[in-house]
Amino acid sequence: MMGMLAQISQEELREKILHTFTAGTDAWEIPLHIGPIDISITKAVWFLFLGAAVTFLILFIGSRLLKDRPGAYQVIVEEIYGFGRNLGGQVGDEGRKWFPYTLSLFVFILVLNLIGLVPNSYPVTANISFTLMLAILTFLITQFEGFRRYGPVTYLKSFAPPGLPAKPLMVPLMWFIEVLGEFTKPLTLGMRLYANILAGHLIIYVFLGLILFFGSYVALISVPLSVVFYGFEVFVAVLQAYIFAILTQVYIELAMFREDH
Amino acid sequence: MESIDPKGIFDLPNTSLIFWTVITFLILLFLLVKFVYPPIRDHILKRQSEIERSIDEAEMTRKEARELLAEYRRQLDEARGESRRILDDARKQADAQRERTKKEAREEGDKIIQRAREEIGRERESALREVRREVAGMVILASERVIGREVNNEEHDRLISQALDDLEAEVAGTTNGSATGAATGSATGDGGRTA
Repeated sequence: MMGMLAQISQEELREKILHTFTAGTDAWEIPLHIGPIDISITKAVWFLFLGAAVTFLILFIGSRLLKDRPGAYQVIVEEIYGFGRNLGGQVGDEGRKWFPYTLSLFVFILVLNLIGLVPNSYPVTANISFTLMLAILTFLITQFEGFRRYGPVTYLKSFAPPGLPAKPLMVPLMWFIEVLGEFTKPLTLGMRLYANILAGHLIIYVFLGLILFFGSYVALISVPLSVVFYGFEVFVAVLQAYIFAILTQVYIELAMFREDH
Repeated sequence: MESIDPKGIFDLPNTSLIFWTVITFLILLFLLVKFVYPPIRDHILKRQSEIERSIDEAEMTRKEARELLAEYRRQLDEARGESRRILDDARKQADAQRERTKKEAREEGDKIIQRAREEIGRERESALREVRREVAGMVILASERVIGREVNNEEHDRLISQALDDLEAEVAGTTNGSATGAATGSATGDGGRTA
């Protein structure tokens, strides 16, 4: 009975569901290499460029059309800027100087998230290479700020929290755990964005894939559910961009104001 | 370079994407920080300062208006007081004027009445004299006719005086002493002339 309903095999279904992600690495390819390193421009890279271009154009056009009596578009751009400005100063007011970086990250990730929701596009933010790379960038800035403000010795010492009992044992232990935590921060930062966006897309693809596997009557259930999840994904797109941006800002500021907390 | 995951879900390391991510994001960051954020920031700051200035100006204008209003009210009050004072003065002056006019009129009236009275007195005296003279003439004529001869001077005077006295007694107390005196004097004079 099941065999008669099955339109395609499980292996084929998996291929269909994962098609978007495999296409990201091999479609629309322009082969490029630096020595042994492959820097070919693939579908994923094309959408990366598109996202950057859209991000830049939205903000750039907004910044050139500034009037004394703002229209809706200008209000949106100014609100984005004001929102980014308020991302700064989470721990200390001086951390505000990093808000252009955080704000750019936010808009960039948000645009890529939303572009990724367009059918037949590629969700760049559902690629762990992309998210981890941005997280590592944040990590580098964080450590740079910490070392610059406190100098290597004070900064490295500060990982062991003050006021520990049984110092000879606890201080090295806590120091090690804290340093480990410093490295897990970018890891979780990258993984969180990647997993959320990937899971959202996979859920939609799996629901639609059920139609291929069980027959077209399943569409009565899976299409409405896909639509619901699609709407939810729009929300997740904004939320995850915000989380990535604000955590980036907080990490940087925590390194800047180590003794204050 | 071969990916460890041919399906592309755990796409690590995707060297091309990593490379282009760094390049693209750094260029994007540079362009945004260089060309996009400064004009937006300047614009927002400019508008902020403009709004602050407008608020300050509005506050100043309101304060000025309030002061002006107070000044106008004060002036109005002053003017009102002034007008009341002027009105009071005018009323007082008018009252005084009226009183004075009334008094003058009364005095004038009194004077006219007085004069009229004097005039009347004089007229009456002259009338009396005239009468006396007529009566004296008639008395003499009548006496001459009765006696049939001319009375001597002494007799003459006595008769006249007697007749006059009789007449005066008839005219009764209306004639005062001076009038009598004058009448007597003039009668004497008349008598002298007549004689």
